[in-house]
Parts: sequence; structure tokens; C-alpha cells
Amino acid sequence: MNFILEKQALPDLLQTWRANFDVYLPQNLERFTHFMPLAAEGVTVINEPHNTRIPPKALFLPMTETLVKFTRFGGYENAKHEIEPRIVFALRPCDAQAVQLLDTSFLQVKYSDPFWLERREKTITVALGCHEPCDNGFCTTVGYGPFNKADLDAMLTDLGDFYLVETFSEAAETCFNGFANASETICVQALEVQQRAHDQMPVAFETENLKEKLEQNFSSNYWDKVSLSCLGCGVCTFLCPTCFCFDIVDETQRRERVRNWDSCMFRTYSLEASGHNPRPSRVERTRQRLSHKYVYWLDQVNQIGCTGCGRCVRYCPVGLDIRSMLRQAQSLPFEVSHAS
Amino acid sequence: MAEKPGIALFQCQWCLFSPADQDWVDNHLPSNIYLTKTPCTGRINPLYVLNAIQGGADGVMISGCLPEQCHFVTGNITARRQLEEFNDFLNHIGYEKQRVRFVWLDLQDRCMIQKELAAFEKELKCLGKAANLVTRMKVAEGEQNA
Amino acid sequence: MPDIEVIKAEAKRLLSEGMVEVVLAFKAGETPLHPQPAFFRTPDDVDELVYSSLNQNNLATYLTRLPKESKVGMVVRGCENRSVNALVVEKQKSRDNLYLIGVPCEGILDWRKIVAKVGEAVKSVNESEQEVMVESRSGYYLVERKELLHDSCMRCSHPNPVSADILIGEPLAESDSNLAREAVEEFEALSVKERYAWFRKEAERCIRCYACREACPMCYCTECFVDHIEPRWTESGATPAGMQAWHIVRAFHQTGRCTSCGACERACPMDIKMTYLTEKLNHDMKEKYNFETGLDAQTKPPFATVTLDDKNRFMV
Repeated sequence: MNFILEKQALPDLLQTWRANFDVYLPQNLERFTHFMPLAAEGVTVINEPHNTRIPPKALFLPMTETLVKFTRFGGYENAKHEIEPRIVFALRPCDAQAVQLLDTSFLQVKYSDPFWLERREKTITVALGCHEPCDNGFCTTVGYGPFNKADLDAMLTDLGDFYLVETFSEAAETCFNGFANASETICVQALEVQQRAHDQMPVAFETENLKEKLEQNFSSNYWDKVSLSCLGCGVCTFLCPTCFCFDIVDETQRRERVRNWDSCMFRTYSLEASGHNPRPSRVERTRQRLSHKYVYWLDQVNQIGCTGCGRCVRYCPVGLDIRSMLRQAQSLPFEVSHAS
Repeated sequence: MAEKPGIALFQCQWCLFSPADQDWVDNHLPSNIYLTKTPCTGRINPLYVLNAIQGGADGVMISGCLPEQCHFVTGNITARRQLEEFNDFLNHIGYEKQRVRFVWLDLQDRCMIQKELAAFEKELKCLGKAANLVTRMKVAEGEQNA
Repeated sequence: MPDIEVIKAEAKRLLSEGMVEVVLAFKAGETPLHPQPAFFRTPDDVDELVYSSLNQNNLATYLTRLPKESKVGMVVRGCENRSVNALVVEKQKSRDNLYLIGVPCEGILDWRKIVAKVGEAVKSVNESEQEVMVESRSGYYLVERKELLHDSCMRCSHPNPVSADILIGEPLAESDSNLAREAVEEFEALSVKERYAWFRKEAERCIRCYACREACPMCYCTECFVDHIEPRWTESGATPAGMQAWHIVRAFHQTGRCTSCGACERACPMDIKMTYLTEKLNHDMKEKYNFETGLDAQTKPPFATVTLDDKNRFMV
């Protein structure tokens, strides 16, 4: 279903939703935007041409989360998280795509993560398409796009004074109940905006045969070159919408078992109890990060594990750029594999 | 404040010369005082102090030997330099300076530690419960040796 | 601004004469706002070398990552030179193995301030002594340099390298050293409650990516206290206890070692203020022990030079 949503009506609509849902939308936190629950008053809908600093994966996989509470004498109980039905509003298509990618990891047939599952089931995602290209993003390069519709409940297209709302699920339809249906011309107009936005995104690198190139040059000195100035901090992975590594720790003083975000860029990530570290330096860790996104994801679910949101590019403290790394990889030698 | 203020006492094991005083500290401390004995004040890592504060200590007392009487020659003075600065630093971010107190105990003194603790407790009562930086769960009573 | 050609010529000379194995400096990055630290190993590489006020990292952080005995040339600004000195004092690098190309620094431009001022998609940045010309998607902007300087650079009192082997460009006037003191005093004038509220607000944004640690030249421990498992010093997660302990102890470990370069703050992806912590410690070191980090390569920091003379300080 397609609806028309006047921009003026949006604050009221958000407040209406608050009656039945926790509404999360990007709001100003210091000098950047952050997904926060909507308060009773003072709605500011932020329309910056780039996404929030912390990706919305944090709404499904919190930075720190208690899994189990235990007592000193061997007793334990599973932690319960009270999750209300919620609407995540104005997340960008790249981040929404990332959540779908993470489903493949957290919601497998045999094992699914109960916390992730519950949060996913109780969430309605209403994305805001990017009609203006953002600075460091490269979504079209990796096969997605500024109006990528994978796994959304609804998508907004900015058409000046109003949004065109496309809904893809019944739940979302009920949210927009009562709004006027969009006419054919408006839908065409929106398509044009979407196409223009898609065309405006520059192609940052070629993805053809990239997997083979990275895979077959596992021991190349290419990795030394691209990781040379890497500091080894966790900015790129923590701010990445598709990075989901976590570490389970027993906080004995709090008597809790918690799950924290972890990063493959840390020394302690791969450090074994014996003291051996299979990824001893930043070279191996950088290789792991890039290969995971551009090789292993493809092996496992046949999708590139990067949605081109550009956060790692924008916030890397030493200006390392995944786009330029992958462009350099283009010149690596490779053989076409005939296996597939 | 009805409740007695909680005090984390870091004590250098050499600073109480009198066996009676040491016995009092080891066996008869009031329940609001949490004792940590160290081999020297120089062993007290600022992180120990921080953990006590985050765990809800209303005050931290550090007792050590007089300068020039340290068992390890300069341990007490090293510690004092660091911990004094740590105290100033904590004060900078909102943990009142008066909540951390250093006492030099002379080997000759008798019953000094009791007097000092009583005086500290009195001052802490005036300050009230510590509210800032208390972010960590307290170690429950009876688990001190766990 | 120093002449880039002179810097390049000097770097080339060092490499071609075999005086150093590698020259540490910056090269142009993918986007104009983010020049990248680079390692130049041959004279031909040096053509890529750039010097601009957007070079936001403290290059001394790479010194402890290179082999200890390697001979290194470095383009250093005031703060980087002091960090090098501090590392030499701590015996992390021998001064004999270093060749410092000194450049008087006019202050580092904060890319976040630029973006806040001119908007997205910055295409080019051109700077002169007083002004910066920025081209972004929405047009050209001429901004006063002072408005774009990073906070710690506004308080900087030693813009000139103190012990460079060669100085390129005219030394700048030493600025007012009271600025840092005033900032500390201003903060201390707040009530205990307000100070804690500020600290808590800043610390709670932390995501524990440790970019501040990695960007800091003085954080070279093989194992950081937060990575330590037995004993576990602090809570591991992004909890108030864990985040506050990290910020307190990270800063405190810099006592008498921090050169106020502000690299930690510039590296932070969450815009967390950190220099109000280290400035306090630096201020105290100056007041109590008349010590400033890195002004020479001999004086040990106060926590490493305990003497029995202290007894007079501490006796009540």
C-alpha cells in the first residue's frame, strides 16, 4: 500500500504511535544523531544526509546485555528483558539491510538467539530512503542502494512537503491507517527520485571477482600495505552495522554473565588461553575484517557482508578507507575458479 | 545519617607495631569498616581505591608508616605521591577530597588507628553518603574471603 | 606554513643517504579531511608526502610499533616532539635512532568542526595563516582558522618542536601557558555535583573501542589493564562502572606523561571530551613538581622520581 504523509503531520503521528509502541528515532546527542526513545514532547525529526553514529544494530544487539544471573552457590536463572513492541523510525536502508544480514547469523534454523528473535519480532522498521547521497557511503557499489527495500515494514521517500509511504507488511499498514492513498503520478514521481538518488551514488570500486582476488592472495604483502597505518582500535567494527562479534564474560562481582560487543581488531579477540595468538598483528586482523565482509559472508550466505554505510570510512581515526583498500585489491592476481 | 558510613581501610602490614592494635584491626573491626591488608602502601594500586569507591565506600583510609620508616625504604612515599594525586583527580571529577584520608602511623603510637578511624567516621557522617562514582555492586557481607 | 618542498627534500635526503630506514609523515587520504599517516621507505615514496593542519594523529604513537632498533625519521610538530621525548625518557626508543624534522605547528583543524560549519561532502580545504577556505557540497566557505582549531590546540603553549634535528619554517611565538590552567580552574569552580554530572555524561557515551588508547603515543603497554583477565580490574562491558573506570584510569596512567596533544579526543568516534581530565593532571604536575612532559629527553616524570625529600611535603 502507498500512502501520503504530510511532513507537518509527522510529529503527531509519532506521538500517536507512542500510545502502543516504544518509538525510536534519531535524535541529537551532543553533536551527532543517535537512536533514542521518543519523549512525550519536543519531537525533532532530523533529516541529515547521513546516518546515525551508532548503527541501529545496537537496538537489537545491545553493547552490553545480561544473559544469565547466577548466585554464589551454583544457582542461576536466565535474564529476562522486558521488550515492548516498538517502531524504529527513520533508519536508513543500508542499516535496515544490515539487520537483515545479521538475521542470517542470529536466526539460524537450528540455533536462534532468543533475545535477538524477540527484539526482531516486536519491532516494526520504518526506513527513510536517502534522496540525497551521503558523503562516504557506497551502497550501490555493494549491490544495495539508497532505496533498498530488503526486509522493511515501510519505506519513506522524501518528496518535498510530504513523504510517500510504501508499506510492505500488515503491521506497518495499520500504523499508517487513515492516511490518504497515493495517486499513480506521485508513485511515479517517487520512483524518479529513487532512481536519481541511485544514480547519484558513485561507484567506489568494482566487486567483480573481488572475492577470488582476496581469497587467493591470503598471504600477499597487499595486506601489509593496507594495514600499515591501522591503529588497531575498534572504531570500524563497533560502528559497523553488520559486525556482530561478541564476547561472553562472567562479571563475578555483579553475579551476571554478560555479552559485550567485541572486535576482531583487538589483540585479545583471538588470543588463546595458551598465550598463542593466531592473528598476532594488525595485518592478520585487517585481513580478517575485510575477508569476513567480502569473502566469508559470500561463502556462507552469498551476500556481501557490507552495506556501504560509510561509517568505517568516516570515523577511522587515521583515515583508512575500505574503498581505497578494495580498489587496490583490484590489481591483485587471481584465477577464475570453476568450482561454482 | 542513621547508618554508619562504610569505610575501606587499606592498611600496610608493617605500620601497626603494637600487637594489640593489630589484633583489633584484624579481629575486632566494626562491621562498617572493610579491611584490605597490603604488604606496603606502595602496593596499593589506585585501582584498588577506585574499586572501593565504585563499590560504594563512603570513605577510603590508607594507613602507612611514617616517611623514612618504610619497610621497603620508599614504598610509602611513592604511594603517597600517586595516591595523593589520584585523590585530587577524583575530586576533579566529583568524589569529594575529604573522603580519602592518609594516616602515617608511628611505630611507637598506641591506639592511634582507632582514634583516626573514629575521627574519619565523624567527618564522613557530616559529608553524608557518597553518591558520585558509585556504580558497582557491593560485595555482599560475609563474602569477604570468597 | 612550512614549505612542503623543503620537508620533502629533507626526507629524501635522509632516505637516500641511508640515515634512516623509514620516514614517518602523512600522505593524502581518500577524502580531503583525513590525511593518512604513512611510512616512507624509499626516496620515490616521498613524493606523496603532505603536510597540512588536518594531520590529526600524533605520529609518535607508531614509534613503539616499529622495531626498537630501527632508525626512524619523523616529521614532528610541537606536541609530537614532546611525546618523542617522553618515550625516550621511558627508554622506548633511543634518541640516537631518531631524526626529527621539526615543523612549527599552527594548530590542528578539527574535521568535525569543519563539517559542522560547512556541511557534508567537503571537496577541498585550503589554508593560510589566518583563514581556511573550504569547499563543500553547498559552496565555498572562508572560515577563520581559530574557529576550526581543535580544543587542545587552542590551549597549546608550545607549538614549536623543542628538540628537532632540523627546524623547517620560522618558529612561532610561544603562546600563553595560562590558557590550560584557566580551563582547569574553570572546571574546578563547578560544584562537585556538576563536575560529576559532566564526567558521567561524557563517559556514558563510550563504546569502549579504545581508539583513545591506540591513538595515544604513551599507551604502549603490551597488555592494557582493561584487557587483563586475572584479576579483572574493571567491568568489561559498556556499563557505567566499566566506562567510568576506563576513563579515570586511562587518564590517570598519563600523569606526568601526557603532552596535551589531544590525539585521544580527535580519535574518539563518539566525540567524548577527554582533555579536561589529562589537563588537570598536567596542571597538578606543573604546580606540585614544576614538571612539564617532554620538554627535554632526560627529566623523569614525577611518579618515577620519588625521593625521601618528599617527607616534608606530606607531613602535616
